Amino acid sequence: MSQHDINKDNQLAEFADKVLQGKMNQPASSSDLDLLRLEETILHLKQTLPTDSPDAAKTKQMLVRLKARMKREEETAEVPFWKKLFDFQSNPQVGMLLVIVAVLILAVITVPSLELGGSSNPTTGTANNNTNFLIGGGIVGVLLLVYWIFRRK
Amino acid sequence: MATTKYMENTPNPLSPQATDEVLIAHFKAGRTEAFDFLYQRHLPNVYKRVRYVVPENDVEDVTQEIFIAAIKSLASFRGDAQFSTWLRTLTNHKVAEFYRKRTRKQEPMLAPLSDANATITGNTSKSMEERVYLQRALQDLPENYREVLLLRFAEDLQFNEIAHLTNQNLEATKSLFRRAVAALRAHLDK
Repeated sequence: MSQHDINKDNQLAEFADKVLQGKMNQPASSSDLDLLRLEETILHLKQTLPTDSPDAAKTKQMLVRLKARMKREEETAEVPFWKKLFDFQSNPQVGMLLVIVAVLILAVITVPSLELGGSSNPTTGTANNNTNFLIGGGIVGVLLLVYWIFRRK
Repeated sequence: MATTKYMENTPNPLSPQATDEVLIAHFKAGRTEAFDFLYQRHLPNVYKRVRYVVPENDVEDVTQEIFIAAIKSLASFRGDAQFSTWLRTLTNHKVAEFYRKRTRKQEPMLAPLSDANATITGNTSKSMEERVYLQRALQDLPENYREVLLLRFAEDLQFNEIAHLTNQNLEATKSLFRRAVAALRAHLDK
C-alpha cells in the first residue's frame, strides 16, 4: 500500500469521526475528487440512516412484547403430524383402528392353521404355522407396544 | 481449595451489574429473569444495528426474532466468544434471513413503496425511500465491508475498537473502511 493510500485512509477515517461527533456536515476535500465523493457518501449515510437507541421506556415495552410473543409461540407450537395421529386421547379412533388391525392380522395368520389342522407334510406345515404365528404375534406385539407408549404420553 | 472451586462454579447473586458470563450462568441454572438483564444491556446495540439495515416497519419484529433465537440457543452457548460477538453474528444471520424471505416473497420491489408510506413523524416519502434504498445497498455489500460500516456508524465504535474486535491493526481497519465506503458509493452509483 502506498503512502498516498495510507494518507487517504487516515483522512477519510478522521472525516468520519468528525461527522459522527457532529463537528462536520459538509465535505472537506475539495481538491481530491475521489475523496470528495467518499466524504459525500459518509455524509449521506449519516443523514439518511438513524442511529438513535431505544429509550428506557421503549426497552421495557419491547421486553414485555417479546415475552408475550414467546408465550404465544410456545402455546401455538406446531405439533408433528405423527404425534397428532397417535394422540389417542384426542384421537381414540386411531387406537381402536390399531387394535382391529392387530386382531385381523392375528386372525388371518391363525385361522388357516386351525381349519386345515396341518398339511400333508406335518413337519413342514407345523414349521410354517409356527413361523406365521411368530410373525403375527410380533406384529401384534409391536402394535400394542406403540399403543401403550402413546397412551402413556 | 474445594470451597474455592465450588464458588467458581456457583453463579454470583443476580444483579443488573453482573457480567454477561454470570448472567448466562444464572440463566442456564434456571433463573430466566437473568435474560431480562442481558436483554436490557444488549438491546441498544442490536436495535441500532437492525435499524440501520432493516426498514423501519420491520425493525422491532427482526429485533425480537434475534432475542428469541438467542434465548433458544443460550443453553448451548459455550462462551468461546464474547456474548456480544455471538449476538452480533446472530443479528447478521437474522437480518440476512429477513432479506432472503423478502426476496422469496418477491417483496423487494414493494418494500420501498410500503415503507415510504409509513407514517413516521418527520420522514417524508422521499427520505424513507432513500433510506430503504441505502439499506439494501448496505446489505448487498460483501460482509467485511458491511461489518466495518455497521461497527463505525450503527454501533459508534472507534477505529481502534474495531481494529481490536476484528483482530486487525489500525491501518488495515482504516483501509478496509475506505474500501467499504468506496464499494457503497459504487453500488449507489449503479
